[in-house]
Amino acid sequence: MGFVKKSDDMEIHGDERKRERDLPGLLQQLQEADPAIRRWAVRDLAQYPEAVPHLIDLLNRETVPFVREAVFTSLVTIGSLSAVEGLLSCLRSDDAALRNETIEALQNLPDLVVPFIDKLLADPDSDVRILTINILEALKHPNVEDWLIKVIQQDPHVNVCTTAVDVLSEVGTEKALPALEALKKRFPGETFVQFAVDTAITTIRGA
Amino acid sequence: MAEITISQEDFNKFKEFFYRKTGIYFEESKRYFVDKRLIERIKETGSESFRDYFTLLRFQASGEELQKLTNCMTVNETYFFREEHQFKCLVNSMLPEIIKQKDRNKRIRIWSIPCSTGEEPYSIVIYLLEWWRDLENWDVEIIASDIDTEVLQKAKAGLFSPRSVQHLPANILRKYFEKKGNDLYQISQDLRNSVEFTRLNLNDPTETKAYRNFDIIYCRNLLIYFDDISRRHAAEIFFDALNSGGFICLGHSESMSRISSLFKVVKFPDAIVYQKPEVL
Repeated sequence: MGFVKKSDDMEIHGDERKRERDLPGLLQQLQEADPAIRRWAVRDLAQYPEAVPHLIDLLNRETVPFVREAVFTSLVTIGSLSAVEGLLSCLRSDDAALRNETIEALQNLPDLVVPFIDKLLADPDSDVRILTINILEALKHPNVEDWLIKVIQQDPHVNVCTTAVDVLSEVGTEKALPALEALKKRFPGETFVQFAVDTAITTIRGA
Repeated sequence: MAEITISQEDFNKFKEFFYRKTGIYFEESKRYFVDKRLIERIKETGSESFRDYFTLLRFQASGEELQKLTNCMTVNETYFFREEHQFKCLVNSMLPEIIKQKDRNKRIRIWSIPCSTGEEPYSIVIYLLEWWRDLENWDVEIIASDIDTEVLQKAKAGLFSPRSVQHLPANILRKYFEKKGNDLYQISQDLRNSVEFTRLNLNDPTETKAYRNFDIIYCRNLLIYFDDISRRHAAEIFFDALNSGGFICLGHSESMSRISSLFKVVKFPDAIVYQKPEVL
């Protein structure tokens, strides 16, 4: 016993790599019971932009974490408008983990997400607006502060506003201060708003 | 010959191209580092401008210049026993965990990527020889990979500077190295024979799919050069490469938890490592 070299294990083994790897074959494998086969298919589908609807469909029913993660990676790799649209639809899912993973994936596609931000911030569902602010948190884009200022000036929902205040305390500049002061007057009875705004103002002024 | 300069547009163009080919992403802050090396290669190849050179880079059938440039762009600072606690963790915790589950007839496989000039894989070999008594009961295979062909040649030759071996205890240095001339130490032939060096581009799926069935992976200070998407891809590759229950060690400033949820964090006494779950 001791050190050995050139193992046969370096060769590719396993049934999963002997399957069809064209588009129809891979789509078929998304239905397989074995999660390892589904994952391989998902990874190979990253080279087929037309697979996006199938990947989104899988995302909404997939329960195995390592398959789900591969779906997100493939969608981000494809990085098309339809991938972003599909991901945005997942923000309405009841599955909190799926929503959080979706936010992370969308943060990797800043240029493609930006055209959707205004519409998302005007969504009738306040949860979608909050999740959109979570996307903004890590989005490298010069408009982020302006979007957040607009939220605290206009959004009627207190939780949406306080989420924006949280993010502003990290990315905000002096430009946000008048809107932050004004927010306290919009929600005078909400002590948490007063506290969050004061904290954000202190942080911004100290920065 | 006119002075060669790299414009912002050239830099952006090169940055995108190099990222697609290697997964290595250069931020604006690396501009000086990149420009300097690009200009060196432009001069070396006799190209007249960035544009000329970029054409060579993109269309050369052999890919030889891309490989040479990649060699220049990768940072290879390393030394023996760097972040030694992770080697202690190997012999004190990871290997004992691995052999609890492993079939005695199967070999233990360890992957060092990127291995640079060989200090990391050879450190693993030394640690096993010196501090892992079970080595006599197991076959161990060590694969060491890097994208840079020049460092692989150096690794195979096994010649090291005094700076590279400065953290080795004197008895280890005497035992496994031979002084060559005034300034170099050569690691013994036996140790050189115990590591398999391979050239690998982690960003190329056709190359990475051959890397399977590893029990332990050392991938330290590589992911810091990748952007978020490339890191996610790397995590998927390591997930494929590891056996269930296998471990991966990252550099001290890197965290798998920030990249992927595929692995679970394991806190051993000597180090924090990441494990592919045994039950998926």
